[in-house]
Amino acid sequence: MPGFLQLRSVLSFLLLCSWETLWAAPIRVVSQAVGTDELLVALAEPAQIAALSHISRAAEFSAVAKEASAYPSIAQGDAETILKYQPTLVLAADYSRVELVEQVRRAGVKVIVFDRYHTIEDAFANLRQLAAELGGEAPARAEAIVQDCIGRIRVLEERLKNVKPSRVIAPSTYGVIAGAGTTFDDICVHAGAVNLASSLGGLRGHQVPPNEKILTWPIDSIVIDGAEDAAALAPYLTLLPYKFLSAVKERRMVRLEPYMLSTVSHYRVAAYEMLALGLHPEVFR
Amino acid sequence: MSRASSGFRGVLLVAFGVFIGLVVLSLGIGDLWLNPWRVWQGLMGRDELASVVVWQIRMPRTIVACLVGASLSASGLVMQAYFRNSLASPGLLGVSSGGAAGAVIAIALGGGALSIVTVPLMAIFGACLATGAVLLLARSGAGTERLLLSGVALNALLGAVTSYVLSSGTLGYERNAQIVFWLLGGLEDRTWEHVWIGAPIVVCALLLIPLGRPMDLLSLGSSEAQSLGVNVPKVRCLLLILSTVLTALGTAVAGTVGFVGLVVPHLLRLMVGAEHRRLVPLSLIGGGAFVLACDLGGRLFGNLRLGVVTALVGGPFFLWLLRRRE
Amino acid sequence: MSAISLRAISVPGRLRDVTLELQPGRVVGVIGPNGSGKSTLLSVLAGLLPADGEVFWKEQSLPEIPFLDRARFLAWVPQEAAFEFGFTVRSVVGQGRFAHGDDGAGIESALAQMDLCSLADRLVNRLSGGERHRVLLARALATEAPVQVWDEPLAALDVRHGLLTMEVAKKRRAAGDTVIMSLHDLRLAFALDEVVVLSNGSLVAHGAPEAVLTPVLLETVFGVRASTGPSLTFELP
Repeated sequence: MPGFLQLRSVLSFLLLCSWETLWAAPIRVVSQAVGTDELLVALAEPAQIAALSHISRAAEFSAVAKEASAYPSIAQGDAETILKYQPTLVLAADYSRVELVEQVRRAGVKVIVFDRYHTIEDAFANLRQLAAELGGEAPARAEAIVQDCIGRIRVLEERLKNVKPSRVIAPSTYGVIAGAGTTFDDICVHAGAVNLASSLGGLRGHQVPPNEKILTWPIDSIVIDGAEDAAALAPYLTLLPYKFLSAVKERRMVRLEPYMLSTVSHYRVAAYEMLALGLHPEVFR
Repeated sequence: MSRASSGFRGVLLVAFGVFIGLVVLSLGIGDLWLNPWRVWQGLMGRDELASVVVWQIRMPRTIVACLVGASLSASGLVMQAYFRNSLASPGLLGVSSGGAAGAVIAIALGGGALSIVTVPLMAIFGACLATGAVLLLARSGAGTERLLLSGVALNALLGAVTSYVLSSGTLGYERNAQIVFWLLGGLEDRTWEHVWIGAPIVVCALLLIPLGRPMDLLSLGSSEAQSLGVNVPKVRCLLLILSTVLTALGTAVAGTVGFVGLVVPHLLRLMVGAEHRRLVPLSLIGGGAFVLACDLGGRLFGNLRLGVVTALVGGPFFLWLLRRRE
Repeated sequence: MSAISLRAISVPGRLRDVTLELQPGRVVGVIGPNGSGKSTLLSVLAGLLPADGEVFWKEQSLPEIPFLDRARFLAWVPQEAAFEFGFTVRSVVGQGRFAHGDDGAGIESALAQMDLCSLADRLVNRLSGGERHRVLLARALATEAPVQVWDEPLAALDVRHGLLTMEVAKKRRAAGDTVIMSLHDLRLAFALDEVVVLSNGSLVAHGAPEAVLTPVLLETVFGVRASTGPSLTFELP
């Protein structure tokens, strides 16, 4: 009998210990989408980041490509490739595969699926939500970022208040063009520009442009992304219908950083500034 | 004989009229409304915008549509005579998929940027390999089942190759977009370069016309044809090369567009009978007209891609054909 | 001068060392049990199946004869009459003139000989098996080739058209042509000028039917006991 009691106390001690360690276990986060990479890198302690998405290091998609190289990036794969980093929290977007999210959840790991990321306000809300999960310094960092962004947006509004909005489009080599409800549309609103694809073309989301009508649009500039001007413009010099646009022929263009036309995080404020500067350099002198 | 040939002339005339009408429509209709006078001015180069729209956007698209239609329908006709089976066609046998796989690999390896002829050449190479496989799997005169089943197998195999290339993570999204364009088959943004790539289709078509009579004899049996004086090895070799190159070039400029080679020769046979001296020229014109019509229909009703429209038309037609044969 | 001569012809698994001389102006029957190599022999002598050994047409080695000349010398009718495509009867018969530059000559006469005038505008893939066979025979006749090789021409035909076909063969013979046909009905074989008997890919006998088709040979080749007595005969009205 005493032997049994002893065993029981040892077992309960062990159970308690593991309970304790679980409770005190540090938060380990895997980010599954590039949009959540940008949130996580901005807020988390380096030790809290277990892994970032498979394109986190690709400069054409990621605003944090440089920082991301310090962390592992998950291979494209199934739930196992995520679980092997032993995360306590997984960040996903509503375009992540449903089965993947579900499997990670069934493995007992908390998953946050971000499904609103169309405006800067959405980005603020996402920052605050993730900061609350991370705890520690994160909420304060999130607030600082939000205030910084709000400040920069105010400055832009002030400078742009008397300019005539530039009429622009953002062509792509994918055969589609950014219409209403896209990051580009949001960037235009804050950078003193009108996206003709949504205002004149009536396109929603990324759609195939009307190849002939587009030639009649009064385009002041095209907005393209790339690391360097000439290389960014090159494909459009041979691509239908863009090669016939006078804006293309006369090189009226503003180049943004490669990630900017697709970013869904607060980094879009940098895109507001870069586009505004490109379109209205006179008000920034 | 004279009654039949005057009937043929009538059909040829009507087909040509319909074809010309569709060409005019295709040049006249687009997402930008231009009245006929402006289209004419554009054609004459007197209106800058209309000229760009007509000459640089609508004209290459129209010509590529004609070339693709003519090539796929003629190669379907040739394959049907070659395999003595009216269900043979580049899509069902897997020759189109072979062309697509070749092109997809070329694009994935960066061949698209290398030279404008790299991708079409790889398409021809892929189509040749697929043709070789069809020959191995189903010898001439093979039954419908064997032919179609080997086509199913080949399509699946080549589809796997294409999917592998698409899913291998090393590819940029841009190349993937190009590849997807190919697989869906369409005439969006076709340029004069595509016209030049497809231009040899005209040469193949001209070479095919004198083969119409030997095709008649061959379509009823190769031993029979040889006993009647056809140089069967030579004619078969020529037909095989022509049909493969036609399919590959058609695929090279518009991706995989299905059912054209099945539908057009069949409809024409119903109208003018089985004689290839009539079917060859008619299938060239009729194929062009069919693809033009499908493209116009797709553009007018909800911006459907060419491959989608031909499949919507051709799929039910194929099922109807299968039922009728039973 | 022989019309056709075969020297030491072998086709692996199907024919063994067949040497044969066929004279012009004869109707020749090729007989033998199923699988004895009748169709193979006809294909080889028609130049459609490559074989070891040599084939001569009118003393000329076959490989030296151009395709078009071959078609003008020898017409071949296959055993199977399958048509995938809907050609008209007249158009299929007209294919017999391919080697003559599609001059259209002799088509109507060939149609008439095979009793096809009323079917001339019908589509071949809608015809019955026997009708299709007559179309192929008519096509062979339209070639006006002096050597006619018919593989089982009578198997699918009704009594009347069978007799008609035999009549046509005799007419060709009268014109100095050679008709070579395989057949199964041994009673018909007695009506021919000579028979070639095959067994298991080998040539067993060749000569006049009365001399060759003895009860002993019939028993060894076909495994049947034959009695020569009064038998059923048909005649054209």
